[in-house]
Amino acid sequence: MSWWIQLLSCAVAAAAFSVLMHQPWKTIPVSALIAAAGYGVFLLLGKSTTGYFWATLVIGICCEICARVMKRTATLFVTGAIIPLVPGVGLYNTMLYVVRGDYYQAVNTGAATLLGIAGIALAITLSTVLFSAFHPRKKKAKPC
Amino acid sequence: MDTLATTLDAVCLASEMILESGGETYRAEDTVERMCQGLGIPKVDVLALPTGLMLTLTLEDDSSISRIVRVHSRSIDLGRMDQCNDISRRVASGQMSAEEALRALREIKRPRKEHRFLLIAASALSAASFTVMLGGSWLDFAVSFFCGALVQLVLPPLAQMRVPPVISSMFAGALTTLMALVGRMFFPAVTIEPIISGAIMPLLSGWAVTNAMRDTIRGDLVSGGARVIEAILSVMMLAAGIGLVLSAWGGIRV
Repeated sequence: MSWWIQLLSCAVAAAAFSVLMHQPWKTIPVSALIAAAGYGVFLLLGKSTTGYFWATLVIGICCEICARVMKRTATLFVTGAIIPLVPGVGLYNTMLYVVRGDYYQAVNTGAATLLGIAGIALAITLSTVLFSAFHPRKKKAKPC
Repeated sequence: MDTLATTLDAVCLASEMILESGGETYRAEDTVERMCQGLGIPKVDVLALPTGLMLTLTLEDDSSISRIVRVHSRSIDLGRMDQCNDISRRVASGQMSAEEALRALREIKRPRKEHRFLLIAASALSAASFTVMLGGSWLDFAVSFFCGALVQLVLPPLAQMRVPPVISSMFAGALTTLMALVGRMFFPAVTIEPIISGAIMPLLSGWAVTNAMRDTIRGDLVSGGARVIEAILSVMMLAAGIGLVLSAWGGIRV
């Protein structure tokens, strides 16, 4: 499978998902592009567990920048952009092993899937914190 | 001049709608605080949870008024959330009075014309493209397309029948798996793995995990934890749906 088919289908899938989430039309192409960029990073890193982290970090930073430029909230972009990274294959394979009774493999795959999700969560958090710390138009520091 | 009742109504409606359309709880709290600032309420305390909202407005003469709003249904509607955000921002900057805001918010709240066909097409295209992304062939694309369309066809009626979201997510997983297996019965060249993995991707709540993390990091531990549980539960039910159908499909020749 050539890489550009994967990236193209990734962008189309993210755009369609954004429509499903009632995302405002103007933001959908941006979201799709960021999704493709993030998945590209993920592919470059060989679909490894740490790849989830770095790819999501790229997505998060791109989304925060676009949010500042387009004066929308970053959540709008992140929801669509993050979806191609969600480990659906891992979940399916985990279930497959459970059903087959191969619990060793099931735990193996399940743990890798969970780590992937944890990486995504960590990266999205980092990018948010990074940008909220250096917000140019922040009124006042609110204790949180 | 806005009456206090109008102010309270507008503020409550805005944050309630943000929670209903899947916004983070800190966004709902921020909205209340910003709107009250714009409307000249000296002090406001607000606590938003994924399932409800409590707020107390304190006026200059130290009298206070409180309200609790229960949020029953939660779905994702980024467009609606964006519109509420926009209105609250305009109120905060003084461009809009509470009464105008209330009218605008009621306009948004009204159920709009649902483009059902568009949603079904989007769901189908999304599932099918994910399948190709994960290494599926064009035949898999077609099967996955049907899976996505069928899921979107079935889920809204289930939600209308007040089936809990976790149950319908299990149902969706089972349905997808069944479709893929039936598809392979007719076309032996179909590969199951990319179809199921692709078709369940739109159902996996990636947004729930991200929102949960954002809430937790902001210090909203209660809503963050609640959302994590919601996400885990929904993923586990989805997985259960897949597993049950896989094991029921005689002797597992997967």
